[in-house]
Amino acid sequence: MGLIGLETYVPGRSPMHRWEPRQKLVSLMALMFALAMVQRVWLVIPMVGVTALLYRLSGLPLSFLRQRWSYPGLFILAVVILLPFTSGETVLGQWGWISVRGEGLTTMVLIVGRFFSILTLGFILFGTTPFLTIVRCLRSLGLPPLMADMALLAYRYLYDIGHTLRTMKQAMQLRGLGQRPTKRRSVAHWAMLLGNLLLRSYEQSQRVYQAMILRGYGQTTFLGGTVTTTVEQLSTGWGLTVAVLAIAVGFVVAEVSL
Amino acid sequence: MHIPDGLLPPQMVAGGYAVTGLATWYCLRQINHQGHTLENIPKASLLTAAFFVASSLYIPLPPVSVHLVLNGLLGVILGYFALPAILIGLFFQALMVGHGGLTTLGINGVLMGLPALAAYHIFQLRHGLEKFLPESWSTGICAFLGGSGGLALTVLIFIALTLVSLPTGLDPTAEHRAILVLALGHLPLILLEGIFTAMVVLFLQRVKPELLEG
Repeated sequence: MGLIGLETYVPGRSPMHRWEPRQKLVSLMALMFALAMVQRVWLVIPMVGVTALLYRLSGLPLSFLRQRWSYPGLFILAVVILLPFTSGETVLGQWGWISVRGEGLTTMVLIVGRFFSILTLGFILFGTTPFLTIVRCLRSLGLPPLMADMALLAYRYLYDIGHTLRTMKQAMQLRGLGQRPTKRRSVAHWAMLLGNLLLRSYEQSQRVYQAMILRGYGQTTFLGGTVTTTVEQLSTGWGLTVAVLAIAVGFVVAEVSL
Repeated sequence: MHIPDGLLPPQMVAGGYAVTGLATWYCLRQINHQGHTLENIPKASLLTAAFFVASSLYIPLPPVSVHLVLNGLLGVILGYFALPAILIGLFFQALMVGHGGLTTLGINGVLMGLPALAAYHIFQLRHGLEKFLPESWSTGICAFLGGSGGLALTVLIFIALTLVSLPTGLDPTAEHRAILVLALGHLPLILLEGIFTAMVVLFLQRVKPELLEG
């Protein structure tokens, strides 16, 4: 499921790791939104360049990125692949009935460039910051406490529930699930498996709630506490914040005015 | 069914965040009005995690395997908690498996979250239907309609968004044909999602009816 290894490189010592988390979150999100605005194909080159530079600065290995890059959904992927052959009037080259069109190719390059750049920036953000800190930052930036608490609890129990599901699946397979591939029976088995998983999660939630109440939950408004910032983080942070925000503004200005 | 980063124009990305923000505000308001908020947070969180894990399940239906969306079921069980739960689930999916995206979190929230709320309201119709039908029938029918309606709405919104955001210059006939194929291709999954939701809900009604009271 790809859950394992998300925080493997969080304890690093790169400038990205030392960047003050709130500044990092705001700056990288601003850059992501600025990149989402890019419509001019020549901006793809600086976009990929900046992303590669920030990734290098983060000290994360390429294998981390390779593990997490994913396909953007089959329909979207099909549309993007078909674009150079179906969209536009300017024919760049023709081989029999296949013709590559300029406008479609441009749109494809733009979509692919934006997709990989924004995705990589997201992985830089989450690969260098603990999840708890991200939620604290979001909370301090206005995320409702209910959602912050839900995110933390869901994250905490994601691995447990994943493990429970694997055990249940294995137990059901040992008892014959999938031996007879009858459609109706198969759906019923999987429905019962999910029903049982929900049931166990619900019962666990009751125990968790009672334990939380005993430990004082509800007396303070938020599970995660506040973000603490060291002097080192502040000093590294401002330079990177100004630089990344300036780059984001630069992309918007280039897009709007050129 | 997730829309990835980089595909949509910025106006639509901003619009997605605006609609999801408004819908989330409304849901949180309803949750506070219903009371027992603190008590429901662990339940909603653990069920969010369970749904996130369950949405990675591929059900083997020979000769293929089918991946369920489950937003209708989430709406049916969690009610107004479904939208915050889906947003958190989408955040995890973008973060951990790279599906969807951070800039498209708002639009994906619209795509998955609003149909989940519709599914919740469809499921609530069972109280009216109970006057005419046995309880298990009314629960099963409304669960089916909630589950399949949730996904059907998601497919409709996805198609509408795709139509609006596709680059101009595409062959309109080919475009319409592709969208028709996409819509028809989802029909079996919509039916399956309804049947699956009804089965899960009837199972829960038998063994833990209080889970369906939310």
